Amino acid sequence: MAVNVLVVDDSGVMRAMIIKTIRLSGLQLGEIHQAANGREGLEALNQHWIDLVIADINMPVMNGEEMIDQMLKDPDIQDIPIVVISTEGSKTRVERLQKKGARFIHKPFTPEIIRDAVKDILGDKVFDGAAA
Amino acid sequence: MEQLLKSRLTQVANDTLEKLAFLFAFPDSERVDDGPDPTVVGRVAFFGYFNGSLLMRISSSVIPELAGNMLGLDDGAEISDVQQHDALKEIINVICGNLLPTVAGDQVEFNIEAPKILSSGEAENLPENERPACIVRLTLEEGFIDLYFFIQGEPAELRLNYGSEQVQ
Repeated sequence: MAVNVLVVDDSGVMRAMIIKTIRLSGLQLGEIHQAANGREGLEALNQHWIDLVIADINMPVMNGEEMIDQMLKDPDIQDIPIVVISTEGSKTRVERLQKKGARFIHKPFTPEIIRDAVKDILGDKVFDGAAA
Repeated sequence: MEQLLKSRLTQVANDTLEKLAFLFAFPDSERVDDGPDPTVVGRVAFFGYFNGSLLMRISSSVIPELAGNMLGLDDGAEISDVQQHDALKEIINVICGNLLPTVAGDQVEFNIEAPKILSSGEAENLPENERPACIVRLTLEEGFIDLYFFIQGEPAELRLNYGSEQVQ
C-alpha cells in the first residue's frame, strides 16, 4: 500500500527536509503534496486522497492548529492521522494538540524520530522490509 | 541573568545548527572584527508571555553551506537566493522556538511571527533604544554567526529553566 502524504509548512526548506526524510525512511510513498499554510492544506485535502498529514503550527494565513480544528469538523478528513512538527515549546499547547489526535515531533528533529512516529501511526506494513 | 541567557542561547543555537544543518559552531565572545565577509541579518519577533525578538547576523559565505546541508544537496549544487534565505529563516525560527521555553518555562505560550531577512538599510538602522538581553557570538569554519536576543520591558516572572534547576 502506497501512502499519500501532505506536508504543510510555510518554509520550503523545511518541507524539502521532511520530504527527503520520509523518502529515506523506507515508507512506501505514493503522492506527496505540499502546502504553505493551513488553508492551502485544507484545499489539498479536499482535492486529493491523503493518508497522512505532516504539519507545522506557526504559519501565516491559517496556522496548523486551526487547520486541525477544521479537519476535525469534516467527517471526510477527520480521521486522517496528523503529525505536527514544530518548535512549539508550550506544554499546554502541545497537550491541546495531542488531545485533538495529533502526534507531536519537536524541531530540530532527527530522521529516526520522524520514521518512528510514522511507523507508530501507520504500522510496519507500509514500510519497505529493507528500511532501517 | 545575562550569562544564563547567553549560555542557554549558545546551547540552543549549537544544537539547532548541528541537527538541522550539520554545522559546528564555537563560542567566540572575544571577536570584535567581522572581517571582510558581508553579513546577512534575519529577525524573528515573538509575542505572548513576554514580547521580544531574536536577531541573527551571519556571514554570507556560511549561508550556501547551511542551506545545502539542510536540503541535502551535493557540494557545488546551485542554491537559489530564495532557498538560502528560507534556510536562514528556518534556523532563526527553530532557535527562537527552542530558546523561549528554556527562558520562560513550558507552561506559557508564545506566538512566533514569520522570520524576516532585513534589508541592509533596516539592518543598519535598528532602533538605538533597543538593547539586547544577551549577545552570543559563534565562529564556524567558514565565518560567524551573531545572535541578539531582545526582550521588551521587564517581564515580571521571567525564570530561567536551567536543566532541572530553575533560577529566578
